[in-house]
Amino acid sequence: MSTPVLEARDVSMVFGGLKALKGVTLTLDEGKIVGLIGPNGAGKTTFFNCLTGLYQPTTGQVLLKGKELPGDPAHVTKAGVARTFQNIRLFPSMTVLENVLVGRHSRMKQGPLASLFHGPAYQRGERAARERSRELLAFVGLNNLDDELSRNLPYGDQRRLEIARALATDPAVLLLDEPTAGMNPQETEATQQLIFRIRETGVSVVVIEHDIKFIFGLCDSVSVLVQGELLVEGSPETVRADPRVVEAYLGKPPEEVQHDVEAAAASAEEEQA
Amino acid sequence: MSVLLQQLANGVVQGALIALIALGYTMVYGIIQLINFAHGEVFMVSSYGGLATFTLLPDDLKKSPAVALPLMFVGGIVIAVIVAVIMERFAYRPLRNAPRLAPLITALGVSVFLQEAVRVWYPNAKSNLPYPKVFPEGSLTLGTINVPWTGVLLVVLSVGLSVILQTYVNKSRMGRAMRATAQDPDTAKLMGVNPDRVIVLTFVFGAVLAGVAGIMFGGYLNNINIDMGFQNGIFAFTAAVLGGVGSIRGAVIGAFIIGLIKTLAGQYMPGGTQYDYVWIFVVLILVLVFRPQGLFGEPERVRA
Amino acid sequence: MSTSTVSTPAAAPPVEQRSALAPLGKPFAAVGGVLGIVAALLPWVTFGLKDGNWPDKSTLQFFDAPFAVTGFRWHVLLLGVLILVAAFAPVPSKGRVVRALGWGLAVVSFINGAYITVKGGGLGAITALDGDVAFGSIVGLVGGVLAILAGYGIGIELPGQWKVKLSTPVAYLVLLVSFAAVLYAVAAMLTTGGVGTSNPYAGAIFLSFLGFAGGVLAALSGVGFIRWLSVLSEEHRVFSVIVLAACALLLPFTEAGNEYWMTVAANIGIYAATAIGLNIVVGLAGLLDLGYVAFMGIGALVAANFSGAATAHFGITLPFPVAAVIAGVVAGIFGAIVGSPTLRVRGDYLAIVTLAFGEIFTRSAQNDIGGITNGSNAIPGIPPLSLFGAEFNKSFSIGAVKLPAGVLYYILIVLLVAATMAVFANLKFSRIGRAWIAIREDEDAARAMGIQTGKKKILAFLIGATLAGLAGAVFAHKNGTVSYESFKFMESVTLLAAVILGGMGSIPGAVLGAALLFVLPEKLREFEEYRLMIFGLALIVIMRFRPQGLIPDRHRRAELADEDVGGVPVDEVHEVPKEAKA
Repeated sequence: MSTPVLEARDVSMVFGGLKALKGVTLTLDEGKIVGLIGPNGAGKTTFFNCLTGLYQPTTGQVLLKGKELPGDPAHVTKAGVARTFQNIRLFPSMTVLENVLVGRHSRMKQGPLASLFHGPAYQRGERAARERSRELLAFVGLNNLDDELSRNLPYGDQRRLEIARALATDPAVLLLDEPTAGMNPQETEATQQLIFRIRETGVSVVVIEHDIKFIFGLCDSVSVLVQGELLVEGSPETVRADPRVVEAYLGKPPEEVQHDVEAAAASAEEEQA
Repeated sequence: MSVLLQQLANGVVQGALIALIALGYTMVYGIIQLINFAHGEVFMVSSYGGLATFTLLPDDLKKSPAVALPLMFVGGIVIAVIVAVIMERFAYRPLRNAPRLAPLITALGVSVFLQEAVRVWYPNAKSNLPYPKVFPEGSLTLGTINVPWTGVLLVVLSVGLSVILQTYVNKSRMGRAMRATAQDPDTAKLMGVNPDRVIVLTFVFGAVLAGVAGIMFGGYLNNINIDMGFQNGIFAFTAAVLGGVGSIRGAVIGAFIIGLIKTLAGQYMPGGTQYDYVWIFVVLILVLVFRPQGLFGEPERVRA
Repeated sequence: MSTSTVSTPAAAPPVEQRSALAPLGKPFAAVGGVLGIVAALLPWVTFGLKDGNWPDKSTLQFFDAPFAVTGFRWHVLLLGVLILVAAFAPVPSKGRVVRALGWGLAVVSFINGAYITVKGGGLGAITALDGDVAFGSIVGLVGGVLAILAGYGIGIELPGQWKVKLSTPVAYLVLLVSFAAVLYAVAAMLTTGGVGTSNPYAGAIFLSFLGFAGGVLAALSGVGFIRWLSVLSEEHRVFSVIVLAACALLLPFTEAGNEYWMTVAANIGIYAATAIGLNIVVGLAGLLDLGYVAFMGIGALVAANFSGAATAHFGITLPFPVAAVIAGVVAGIFGAIVGSPTLRVRGDYLAIVTLAFGEIFTRSAQNDIGGITNGSNAIPGIPPLSLFGAEFNKSFSIGAVKLPAGVLYYILIVLLVAATMAVFANLKFSRIGRAWIAIREDEDAARAMGIQTGKKKILAFLIGATLAGLAGAVFAHKNGTVSYESFKFMESVTLLAAVILGGMGSIPGAVLGAALLFVLPEKLREFEEYRLMIFGLALIVIMRFRPQGLIPDRHRRAELADEDVGGVPVDEVHEVPKEAKA
């Protein structure tokens, strides 16, 4: 068996007296999409923050292609792990193109002097970065919006721009934190297709999502996180069949449980039909 | 040895003064996360307000300290409160949801404006003004240590008022509303707390304490000048940071530490009193760099 | 401009309630405009003032009395006509434009009326007293107020957005014309009302001109022209800097070409260069620096000590370019040191660290630390610069044309400002500049994009401080004396005010801000006393009403002003996730 591209071993995170993560282990094989689900407050985003170096795990380690990741977000990104945020965090008053160019930052070489004098080599690097950024914008479906301020984009486009910006860092692993939150069914469908296409380019993906139907239709494997612990892990079928998963979701507000259960049932019916 | 003891005593008196100002910084920061740069000027304005009150008194009242002094306190505090309330209402409140840089710059503007307004409009404010001799004279002598009664009064007022404030914030209904607003303004609002009232009240408390400090400053040092607000404001801010911004107890303890550093550095460090100011800033920078949460604050957590 | 498509966003919600005023919008604008024109033609004064007849003295040289309507009255006339045009022509963001012009009219009328009243000894001077009728200022004021109300009635919409793309030669032409107009306006601003002391009405005339210029600029900004022009000049930034520098170099040949204004302009230039450096730190990287002038002081001290002045600490005299480079490097090193707490300290606290550093500098310099500052005696007698035997503070002639004294300093400083602008512009539109802006916008997201935020922030401090150090070196030679008094906290505040007033992150803004803040005191000698008070008030008012500054940066604009915001509010974008809070 080959080395997994991303591996979290026994990651724990303690804030003061609060144990946000208790020994979570996750394995992502190359070219796969892994889903991470769980009720609110289960520690999903905290786990992401541990993976990307924003938090230092209290114990445990994170490995990228068998090598331990450095404990700093900038270096983690450079090593090849990119992310999006649960609440979109674009650079609101930069243009669409500039947002993606910021993503290219760690793949560009220009230092302060080159930036000061804009010599020929600088110009070449800048042109290449712009070209790559436009490609990525086209890839996620944002054409002809280069000079728009990112804050002026509709919600769905902002999510896609965030993905383009993350892809601009040339990641081996892309971490998506609720990429379809607030989207309508068509947009959700388009996002699913986009994630498949991202996988085709050789990037492995981890997705956090509340929309269980979306996760089951998308992922090769699903992990369920409850109260900071890994409850179940396996193929979508295994996870859906597991009674503990439904039970765990009963810790949530009634409407949401009902919604999730209905959604899961609906998707199950769909597949049987 | 006697020099050291005397300097320690001086440091405690300075600390008491700084503490009264520092409380205003720390409370406002605790509630709306604003470094109210202009708070030092509120202190300065109150000092001039007290002096103006005295000047306006009829001659026979000027000669009776028992009447003049309380009236000066009233005058100084009233002016300080008015200034603080106007400043909160018209300069800070409209910016409550603005990016953080905006209110900080506004605070800078308010500070410059107040200082200049006094310099230009208060008669003869360009030079040091002597403070009326209505304070208790003489001094307390303990062995070799000599502390003017004004200094003693300053320490008593400072400690007393901070204890009262601490009790009020911990025990009273309004104090609870203050703490709730500091923790989470939105939830506090849902619970029926009017954040505007709480914030104004915070400014008022800060102004009252600064007002007391302003009058006592004049009494202790015998004259006042328009730079007093900026300098002591910075000291007080340093004290608030040292103690952990938002913590009342921290601000008071921080203030005494700063007072001691100032007098001791002035006595024992190279450069003497010419550099005492510099040492305080060095301490400020070190604290901000190595323990930004202060001695009694909680560490800030990274958000994501 | 063939492909001109002028559009205002359709979904722009009216900010003000329009119900009461809505039907009155256009009628009010019409009446306001007509009143403006009438006011210009009415007499303004009933009798001669002590210092001479008011309207005679109120001429601007370039509005020299055609149709017997002179000076400010020309401005009033023009504003009246513009209000009428704006009200009835298809103008984008009509309400905003009419309101701006109305303010211009009201301010011009009020200032002139107020001065006449004060100088003429009472309200009699502007009303019908000795048989004459002189309601000019009142009519003008009423017209202005009506136009402002009309603006609200029509509705305040987002400023127009121009999507015009120009071919390069046309763009160059537009920029050339615009910058020439800017030069003209600057020369007018400097010379309007003459040199402070010689004309008793100088202050009034100058303020009145500012009111007019402000109204017209605000109207242009409302139409969307200013934004469009600033985007255009950023696209062609090399050309822009060259043209601006060329225009500035022509200033000695205009009416402002005398020793007095060369000196003032050179001083403005030094502060403008420093302000641009500060703009890197504050405007781009979003780090508030309250002790910035200390770096200028360090540069000045270094240059002074190597200048060969009698009280210089080092026995060596270095040629100016070498000393200037050392000044820049030393200031830069200090900048990096002061900036290094950014690795651990965030936001407001960093501002306090910089303030503390500034104070440490002032105190140390005051006490002659290490014997290099000469304490409160300052370092006097720094020799003026010279090049090929031409001393920079003497007058200078090219062929038959004799240029005023100080012109060489002026030229040197224009080149310094141009270089600083180029540095700023190149950095802003580079990998580094984008990283700074990203840090300013959202530091955690920037780190997640692979930006090493600590290093980049220190770099901002380093570069900003280096520029200030260079400006300080020039300052030392130009002024001949270096004293710690020139580098106190208030100077830092003034520079910050210049950056904020002009517009954070914007280069023309920093120059304009510095120009206004340093010309105003020259012009308003009678208000000298109130200078700092007005700064303080200005900071408060700007933050309240126009936090993006006079010439906002395209990036900054949306961020600081709610009025211009479309799409998702900043707070929502930046909302802290529940999980991280818990």
